[in-house]
Amino acid sequence: MPLKGAPRGSNRIKDNEKRRVIDDSQRKRRQRKFMELLESDNYHEDPHADLVMSKKVPKFDNSLEQRTSRNKKKERTVDYYQFKYRKNFQQLVEDNRAEAELRNCPSYMDVQCKESQLPQRRFCAVCGFLGPYSCLSCGTRYCSLKCMGTHMDTRCLKWAS
Amino acid sequence: MNDSETRSTRLQKRRRSSVGTRETPVKSQKTSPKALIVDNGAYSIKIGYAEDSEPKVIPNCIMKAKSERKRLFVGQQIEECRDCSGLYYLLPCERGYITRWEVQKPVWDHVFSKNVFPIEDNPVILTQPLFNFKSIQDCIDEIFFEEYEVSSLFRCSPSDLTYLNYAKHKQTKNDACLVVDTGFSFTHVVPYVLGNKFLRGIRRINVGGKLLTNHLKDIISYRQYNVMEETYVINQVKEDTCYVSKDIKKDLVKAAEPYKLNSIVRNYVLPDFNLIRRGFIQENVKTELNDEDNNYQILRLNNERFIVPEILFHPSDIGIKSMGIAEAIVDSICSCPQDQRQLLARNIILNGGNCKFPGFKERLYADLRSLLPVDWPVKLYLPEDPITYPWKGGGKQELALPINEDDNKMEVEEENDEMDESSNNLSMAAEDVDSEKGVNKRGRRTKVIEEENVQTQNTVENEYNIFDDSEIFPFDVSSYL
Ligand SMILES: [Zn+2]
Ligand SMILES: [Zn+2]
Repeated sequence: MPLKGAPRGSNRIKDNEKRRVIDDSQRKRRQRKFMELLESDNYHEDPHADLVMSKKVPKFDNSLEQRTSRNKKKERTVDYYQFKYRKNFQQLVEDNRAEAELRNCPSYMDVQCKESQLPQRRFCAVCGFLGPYSCLSCGTRYCSLKCMGTHMDTRCLKWAS
Repeated sequence: MNDSETRSTRLQKRRRSSVGTRETPVKSQKTSPKALIVDNGAYSIKIGYAEDSEPKVIPNCIMKAKSERKRLFVGQQIEECRDCSGLYYLLPCERGYITRWEVQKPVWDHVFSKNVFPIEDNPVILTQPLFNFKSIQDCIDEIFFEEYEVSSLFRCSPSDLTYLNYAKHKQTKNDACLVVDTGFSFTHVVPYVLGNKFLRGIRRINVGGKLLTNHLKDIISYRQYNVMEETYVINQVKEDTCYVSKDIKKDLVKAAEPYKLNSIVRNYVLPDFNLIRRGFIQENVKTELNDEDNNYQILRLNNERFIVPEILFHPSDIGIKSMGIAEAIVDSICSCPQDQRQLLARNIILNGGNCKFPGFKERLYADLRSLLPVDWPVKLYLPEDPITYPWKGGGKQELALPINEDDNKMEVEEENDEMDESSNNLSMAAEDVDSEKGVNKRGRRTKVIEEENVQTQNTVENEYNIFDDSEIFPFDVSSYL
């Protein structure tokens, strides 16, 4: 398995930038980006992307033909369903909320857990051990001068802009 | 068919087609066809016919490999892939719900093809996530009825099947139980009371196996090598090395010891897809990596082993403002009818891949113990295989499980009944009823239970809707948190 040597994102941030402090809304945006990252299906480009425009695009192995005793006329292309039923997730949630309201029963959003009552635990973002200190610029937790240095050199303001 | 058509004309069409296209009336068949049970997870499909003892677990995705540019791998075809590095995933679901039909449909076409699990006259039981969205249900129905021409389709949540399996196991249908399903996309807590889901007690945590794997990729990439593209491999690393800590503070102390004394640290040999097809934990942890090890690529897992599954118990560790799994269970129990709460606490069933982390059950027990009143017994049931447990609840036996003898008799009498009529009824039924109440399209035998369920559901809801929240809470929950 080919692995690229260096840890991700180690561009040293200039000294003046180090002292920049990002505000609450920027921190929230940063958190949102991080959550999107954790929901991603892939972090790289489609390895067959260059094939898409050519005839080389792999086809499914005619699985439709293998289905027995089925009426061929009824077969529909994938585009048909995609076109007819495609809704983005937000739309689906909104429809569901409206419908649930009409019927006076819980919706998708209603069953989502509320905020935890347990005390927040703090871990060092660099090494994973307890992180009692927080970065003045971005609020990220760290445990030691060493980890603070690593944090400043790598991720500190990387996702801030 | 365009959007302007009303549901009722569509329904008529559906009914006509189900009668018109059948050449031999089902009535003439001596044995009714076995049901095909499909637990359609966002990560894997658990599928098999009712009489099979085990389902087959098939990845619910299409994959593209860097090494094979001439083909796609659909479902279990990935076993034919020689090199799974940098595998690119096309997944059908977004947050657990099917939104990419361009992926789901070809996967289903493959899964239901002749050499895999063909649908002939088999009734189909298909799972869908809780609160499945209406347009997704419509699309599922259209695909199965119009294109696959199934005789009947029963949609229910995996937790419903779990409940049925558990009811069979307990030999009773009236006991309350609480299903904890922690899978790829999310974690659900679903209380069953007097034979049905108690909707207002359901809780969802937006943490599942996908998020854990992605988080592990992120921290490994930050601390060691860039593995952001290696979802397939890092998922295996997670499965092979992660565990749920009994006491995270103690384990953090142990993990901080120098490697020679450290009982937590593991070296993981990564696959090279040449000599090593699957990664593994290096047997004797070497204190220093020596020259020999240059033949392999080794990851060193230390506090990552338990910090990652911790997110299930404390989503706030990574900034998700949500209760963890133990808190959610307590919150769910407390929103259920008062007389059912203790019963729920001692009938907790654990399902889904995340339950397979070593220590999961023990930790959950300890956390629940500290949150619930001391005089409440707490019992957790972890099935031998928490991934296939719901599927096993879909078997004929379980679904046909009635409580009293009358129902049993009815079942036998109707065993060979004609399907045409019932499938009409069922199509109709599906339009009328709320799928969240566990009622849907399915052969006649299960309809017996379904109708019963509707009744119980109404009773439960009516009975308890009159209370407002303050009345249902007998004790101040926050004092236990
Ligand atoms: Zn640190
Ligand atoms: Zn910072």
